[in-house]
Amino acid sequence: MALGEKFEIGPPAGRERFPRAGKIELGTMRRVALGAFALGLIVFSSATPLFPRIITDQTGRRVDVPENPKRIISLAPSITETLYALGLGDRIVGDTEYCDYPPEARLKPHVGALLNPSLEKIVALKPDLVLGIAEANRRETADQLDRLGVPLYGLTAHSVEETLNSIEDLGKVLGRGAQAHELVAGLRRRVDAVKQEVEHAPRPKVLFVVWYRPLITAGPHTFIADAIGIAGGISISDDLAGEWPRLSLEDALHRDPDIILFPKSESFSPSLDEFQQLAGWKDFRAVKDHRMYFVPDTINRPSPRLIDAMEEVARVLHSEQKSTARGPESSR
Amino acid sequence: MIVKPTRRNVLGLMAVLGASLVIVSAGALALGGVHLRLGEVWSGLLGADLHSEVSIIVRQIRLPRIILAALVGAALAVSGTVLQALLRNPLADPYVLGVSSGAALGAIIALWVGGRLAAASPLMAFGGALVTIAWVYLLGRRGGRLASYTLLLAGVITASFLSAIILFILTLLSTRDVRGIAFWLMGDLSVVTDVQLRILGPAVALAIGAIYFFAKDLNVLLLGEQEAAYLGVNVARVEASTFLLASFLTGMAVSVSGAIGYLGLLVPHLGRMIVGSDHRTLLPTAALGGAIVLVISDTLARTIVSPAELPVGAVTALAGAPVFIYLLRRAAG
Repeated sequence: MALGEKFEIGPPAGRERFPRAGKIELGTMRRVALGAFALGLIVFSSATPLFPRIITDQTGRRVDVPENPKRIISLAPSITETLYALGLGDRIVGDTEYCDYPPEARLKPHVGALLNPSLEKIVALKPDLVLGIAEANRRETADQLDRLGVPLYGLTAHSVEETLNSIEDLGKVLGRGAQAHELVAGLRRRVDAVKQEVEHAPRPKVLFVVWYRPLITAGPHTFIADAIGIAGGISISDDLAGEWPRLSLEDALHRDPDIILFPKSESFSPSLDEFQQLAGWKDFRAVKDHRMYFVPDTINRPSPRLIDAMEEVARVLHSEQKSTARGPESSR
Repeated sequence: MIVKPTRRNVLGLMAVLGASLVIVSAGALALGGVHLRLGEVWSGLLGADLHSEVSIIVRQIRLPRIILAALVGAALAVSGTVLQALLRNPLADPYVLGVSSGAALGAIIALWVGGRLAAASPLMAFGGALVTIAWVYLLGRRGGRLASYTLLLAGVITASFLSAIILFILTLLSTRDVRGIAFWLMGDLSVVTDVQLRILGPAVALAIGAIYFFAKDLNVLLLGEQEAAYLGVNVARVEASTFLLASFLTGMAVSVSGAIGYLGLLVPHLGRMIVGSDHRTLLPTAALGGAIVLVISDTLARTIVSPAELPVGAVTALAGAPVFIYLLRRAAG
């Protein structure tokens, strides 16, 4: 049968003709498969020293990641920070306009903003791996890069633990498993130290303000709320749905937070006195008691510096109980 | 200026506008976040090496997006032309009549439900457009005829009602989905797939061709339904067919690009200024003109804040409103 002849391209051992497609003997099959696999191994390993790996990323996408990526594009400030922390800063060939830490990250070529990076900029920088994070980037960007054959490895971080995992995972993917393990072990020790420190302290009710007109706060499944929890606070928005829920001012007043926290940034740093005159806000017990604090805005970034911010939150939440009932930033 | 609708003139007009579209597209192909020399664009377009960066940028990023812009622009402009003729109202366009909102709602429901349905959001958008237009059409019918003011009002109210539902759902969605939808609501051409182009291309061409078949009837309809009926036009049939075709075009366009405003409103007006209001010349002018306008708009969207990108709807809205006011003033003066 002509069809049978065509199929007869196994290794020399496979002399038996294949009677029909459906009735191939297992032994032959195995030999053919083994031969093909060996052949493939030789062809692949000789042609490409960087053996491609198919890995499932943290968002569940299957990505063809090179063994030792040399040209990396980061699509989020937190990822850029993590790469530098792992000693991989020199492999970054592009990052976003918001990547400002460490300062050298500002000097890298930018591919645009987090939600709408330029695909052609990305392609022109010839990356062998693009890194994104579900909390900051759009699914569509990943889809479009897939179409162009540019591998994007996606991370996700809903909690402090997931943030640490994502750092360690990133290290493994980029061939820096040992460093990442060490870095994360150090961060974990600091997390544990904070946990221990606040273990027996009273837990104040905290309102974290993402934005104040309208009031937007951090929902329960965010690394921010988790960091506040570990730092010994109770987020008053822990029962709300969504990641960045809006909270009505009256509801917030009713929940009566002990302490109000703001992330401090260049673009947003109103004086605390302003809130004492702001309608609605001035009625908060926390505002009357001058218990409003700025915390480092790295609390917005699921990177190693999230732990810095968390330690600062822990200090803010508990320092005053040790000294006086008033906050350190109060003007009285 | 008025171009007489002889066969020679129409073909000549199409040749001129077609050539303009090719030139504009060539310019769009050469512009982008990455600076490419003309020689590089040429070799990227025609070169054998499909995997070079230049080739990927030119062939897989810029070209599909330009084709998408041209198709969506043509579809929206022709749709607007037809709706303005049918309703004998210069304010009619797919956006105003709620078709775009219906499509948006369809897509958003798909993302809201999530899972498998999320992947079918273009299909849901298309469904949303058709359901909305059927609803508006039924509201606008009086005694088997389209009552143009009733239809327009029904469309406006439906559009605002649907927008309210969209806002309501948006507050319930997770941030991750909202980010995608925000771009989509503004009208965005940055997401293209080959499948979309392969379906959109023939569908838009066929629908516009079919509408052109009714060009003379649309001219007569401009005189009024009674008059058209006296002149032997089967008014109900013409209205139903062209209305459905226009909705089909809008649904196709919105399903892939989101809600791009002003194009369907503005381009027919521009077209009438150039060639007059005979649909035998106006329809091809609107189709090619719409394509040209959207290709230019999207090139601006890709380049003005480079390396970041704007949604194209922001560009058409920013440019569209002043241009429209200018045209109004000019027409009045």
